[in-house]
Amino acid sequence: MSKGRIIVIDDEDIVLISCQRALAPEGYDVRIVKSGMDGLKMLESEAFDLVLTDLKMPDIDGIEVLRIVKGKWPSVEVIIITGYQTVETAVKAMKLGAFDYIEKPFTPEQILSVVKNAIAHRASE
Amino acid sequence: MKTKVKKTLYSLTGKLILTIGAMMIVGSITFWYFLIYYQERELLKNSVKYSLSFVDYVKKSTRYGMLTFQQLLIQQTVEAIGSAEGIMRVRIFDSKGKVAYSSKKEEIGTILGKNDPLCRSCHSESVKPRDMQSWSIRRDPEGYRILNIVQPIYNEPACYTSYCHVHPKEQRVLGLVESDVSLSLLDKAMKRQKIAITAFVFGFICLISVVLCTILWNLVSTPVSILTQGMERVAAGELDYTVRIDTRDEMGELARAFNAMTADLSKAKKELIEWGNTLEKKVEEKTEAIRKAHEQLIHSEKLASLGRMAAGVAHEINSPLTGIVTFGHLLLKKFPEGSQEREDIEVIIEQANRCSSIIKGLLGFARATSAEKSSANINDILNSSLNMVRHKADFFNIKIVLNLDESLPSIRADASQIQQVFLNMIINAADAMDGKGTLTLSTRKVVENGNPFAEIEFNDTGHGVSEENIPKLFEPFFTTKPVGKGTGLGLAVSHGIIQDHGGKIFVKSTLGEGTSFFVRLPFYEEKA
Ligand SMILES: Nc1ncnc2c1ncn2[C@@H]1O[C@H](COP(=O)(O)OP(=O)(O)O)[C@@H](O)[C@H]1O
Ligand SMILES: [Mg+2]
Repeated sequence: MSKGRIIVIDDEDIVLISCQRALAPEGYDVRIVKSGMDGLKMLESEAFDLVLTDLKMPDIDGIEVLRIVKGKWPSVEVIIITGYQTVETAVKAMKLGAFDYIEKPFTPEQILSVVKNAIAHRASE
Repeated sequence: MKTKVKKTLYSLTGKLILTIGAMMIVGSITFWYFLIYYQERELLKNSVKYSLSFVDYVKKSTRYGMLTFQQLLIQQTVEAIGSAEGIMRVRIFDSKGKVAYSSKKEEIGTILGKNDPLCRSCHSESVKPRDMQSWSIRRDPEGYRILNIVQPIYNEPACYTSYCHVHPKEQRVLGLVESDVSLSLLDKAMKRQKIAITAFVFGFICLISVVLCTILWNLVSTPVSILTQGMERVAAGELDYTVRIDTRDEMGELARAFNAMTADLSKAKKELIEWGNTLEKKVEEKTEAIRKAHEQLIHSEKLASLGRMAAGVAHEINSPLTGIVTFGHLLLKKFPEGSQEREDIEVIIEQANRCSSIIKGLLGFARATSAEKSSANINDILNSSLNMVRHKADFFNIKIVLNLDESLPSIRADASQIQQVFLNMIINAADAMDGKGTLTLSTRKVVENGNPFAEIEFNDTGHGVSEENIPKLFEPFFTTKPVGKGTGLGLAVSHGIIQDHGGKIFVKSTLGEGTSFFVRLPFYEEKA
């Protein structure tokens, strides 16, 4: 039984692979997609506990993904991955319902701890 | 010499002297002429009067002789009278024009015709002879005048009733008494007088001319030439030159007006020069200010484009860095602790993290220009910055002295950015002191170019900055710290932030003794 179903959305392969390699060995069911559109499509067809999304993407950006996810599936947690964190965007994301945010580059330990917190938070709801 | 005379003639003085002189000469000559003319007329009038009474006297002296017809007595009387001084001749004519008696015996008996010059005066063209006394003047060979007097002898009862019965009753004029009186004495006196008067008038003209020339020279010519000279000197630029004419007349007034004018001129010129100087200085100051502003603009432009580039780079680089860090960590787990491979992988991770921190530094530029400023307390920001580093090992042996002006008004700032600047300053100071020394933080109010600022001083007892490095401190990527420790971005970003806040940042340092960084920020002003 998996610890949780996670979908990672980022336009960069290396970030997707890093997340998968950091999280999958720890018992999470990780799906990766290369765009916001694909991510939303997959969310329509499958159920997820957690969404990890990059902020800056070509088609739909992270804030938009966050808004749609929180609108359709309020119980699904969202974590924002940011290339260059600013207080403003972080505050904005939190206001829109994001659980947390994580700065690139991150270590496997850092992403694991954020994900663990989020899953635990969802379970406690 | 000739031109000088000409110049004098055309000058005001010359004209005045000529005019007044001419008037004086004309006046004197007129005076002289009338004086002589009237005197002569008066004298002649008197001479005629006396001569007439003299002839009357002849008539009366001979009356008795006539009435008694004593011809010898009459002749003797006439001769006696004729010998008197000044009397040249006395003659008595009868009615036929024959000389009856004469002071000159040889003339007796001669008959003068009616055409004789003596008779023409009465017996002219008129039919009836004029029976009145008359006089005429002629000149003797020497040029002196001779007064000729003729007086008729009228018939009277005593004549025609006397016993001799020479004259009938009907005859009206019995004869004439005629006399020549010499006026030579009078003429001589007149001549002397004329000479005396002429001499006097001439002397008078000369004297007046000299006096007039002197007065005019002193009153007009001298002051005018002094004034002219003064004007030439002033025109030549000698503006502090004054003319000296102390008279109370118009010339003195003119001189005073002239001096006042030169004084005004000199003052105006001085002001102009001063103005020119200050203008030059002002232009220099403005040029300097513009140059500085331009430099600053270029600097902030540089920083802003650096910030834009950093934002792009950050996004692109952070993803591969994520891969390096993640896979590094994954790989790390595959090797036992203390193995060479593990050490190598740790270097990879460390260098990747260094890349990340460089990028974070660069992102400071991107943020420096998008700050949200509000009222903030500078002392509070300083204290919170200190609290963030105090517990770190680097600060254990550093003495921190606070010198804060608690009455300092709040500033207009983005507190988190200012905190970033302060942290930078504090960490730099600790690095410079190599872990031990004194860090003094002071806040105070200063006034620069009339504008108040809050000033924060970060003073350390570290190694200082060499003179040649001072201008480079605020350049991006300038660092003297070992690779891995410094990025050279701290001061550059701080500079950008402070500049964006309308403040300034500068440094004073002595190599080997310590460094002071100063940050000046404008106070918060309520918007009206
Ligand atoms: N308080 C100080 N005393 C002496 N040198 C200093 C001090 N602060 C800064 N510097 C010099 O300025 C350089 C640039 O500083 P900074 O821009 O903060 O970059 P970094 O700290 O990463 O080197 C430093 O490397 C150091 O040589
Ligand atoms: Mg620094």
